[in-house]
Amino acid sequence: MRSLFEWVDALPSSIALRESLNAYPTMLTIHVVSMCLFAGLIAYWDMRLIGFTLKKVPVSNIPTRLFPWALTGYGINLITGALLLYSQPMRYYGNFYFWAKMALMLVAGINMFWFHYATYKSVQAWDQGREIPLNARLAGVVSLVLWAAVVVTGRMMAYSGLMPGWWNNLNIGA
Amino acid sequence: MLQSFFEWMQGLPFSAWMLEETWASPIIQCAHLVALVGFAGAVLVVDMRLLGRGLIKTPLNQLAREMDRWMIWSFVALFVTGAPQVLSTALKQYYSPFFWWKIQIIVIGLLFNFTIRRRVAFAEEGTLGHWPKVVGFLSIGIWTSVSVYARLIGLLS
Ligand code: HEM
Ligand code: HEM
Repeated sequence: MRSLFEWVDALPSSIALRESLNAYPTMLTIHVVSMCLFAGLIAYWDMRLIGFTLKKVPVSNIPTRLFPWALTGYGINLITGALLLYSQPMRYYGNFYFWAKMALMLVAGINMFWFHYATYKSVQAWDQGREIPLNARLAGVVSLVLWAAVVVTGRMMAYSGLMPGWWNNLNIGA
Repeated sequence: MLQSFFEWMQGLPFSAWMLEETWASPIIQCAHLVALVGFAGAVLVVDMRLLGRGLIKTPLNQLAREMDRWMIWSFVALFVTGAPQVLSTALKQYYSPFFWWKIQIIVIGLLFNFTIRRRVAFAEEGTLGHWPKVVGFLSIGIWTSVSVYARLIGLLS
């Protein structure tokens, strides 16, 4: 893994991005705005599942009508995130919050697929109703908590001085 | 006058505490972003509906009434997590053009929301022609530019 990061770090295009004055602010700003589109819509989907809001909207309406937009946001988020990483791989390689964020996104993804291919299959039975099955509500809670944690670890990546002591002892970045 | 007000904010014991306490600023910044996600979702669900996208099977005024509370409370959360940062970095904010643009557009956004956007979203649907689309478009533009300027305060000043 380390050699992969070091290899990217030495690529001319990575160096060009890193040395450009505008690239970092532009990418980070687009990263935040696209996060709003993605995470903002997903948050209300999660809260619909939990039963906090939008109770009169049929559950299945949200995936069909809002997910294309949320996925558009996610796509832009992914591209800008990947470019940010590409431009400074060695800055993030030793960063605890970077790896935590990737792990949290992975778990959030697994939760999403599990929900979609198991729990959501029976949606017709509870589409209009106010009684959402426990599994679906749990999936909503897990998703809400995980994406919030992705936002938090995303912001914390800037604080390289605030990583846990045990992580620093591993000396990964050195 | 304005400058001495910002100097006064910068000099408060609370500001000194914020800067002294290692975790205070990062926690507040993370909370500001989580609040932003809540705010963005509440605004977008209605703005997309105004544009004729998104949850079109639900009556617009019903959706708008429901999202109204979420929008207001997440704005309160943005204010509560934004104000301490203004206090602790008052002079940096004072000298950043982006901060002033952000504040001005927030004021415009709030006025726009409570005078026009709400009225249009709460109205009987289909009676206002193309106006709902214009309003949805402006609202997305306003809050997006607030976010862009906000992010640029930290990056470019
Ligand atoms: C593969 C996907 C992603 C990658 C590679 C990625 C990578 C990055 C990188 C490199 C940064 C810059 C950190 C810094 O220099 O301070 C960043 C910031 C951030 N990311 Fe991501 N990211 C991804 C997806 C996401 C997602 C899905 C979310 C939220 C739901 C998110 C939320 C954030 C936040 C909140 C920040 C901080 C922005 C700020 O400072 O204002 N990211 N990300
Ligand atoms: C009256 C309420 C608000 C106050 C007092 C406030 C204040 C602040 C301050 C002082 C910062 C730190 C800027 C820096 O020095 O880097 C900030 C960051 C930010 N604010 Fe606000 N804000 C408010 C509302 C909003 C709203 C309504 C939005 C969006 C619609 C927003 C979006 C952002 C964003 C995207 C950031 C950058 C986040 C980061 O990466 O740290 N804020 N805000």
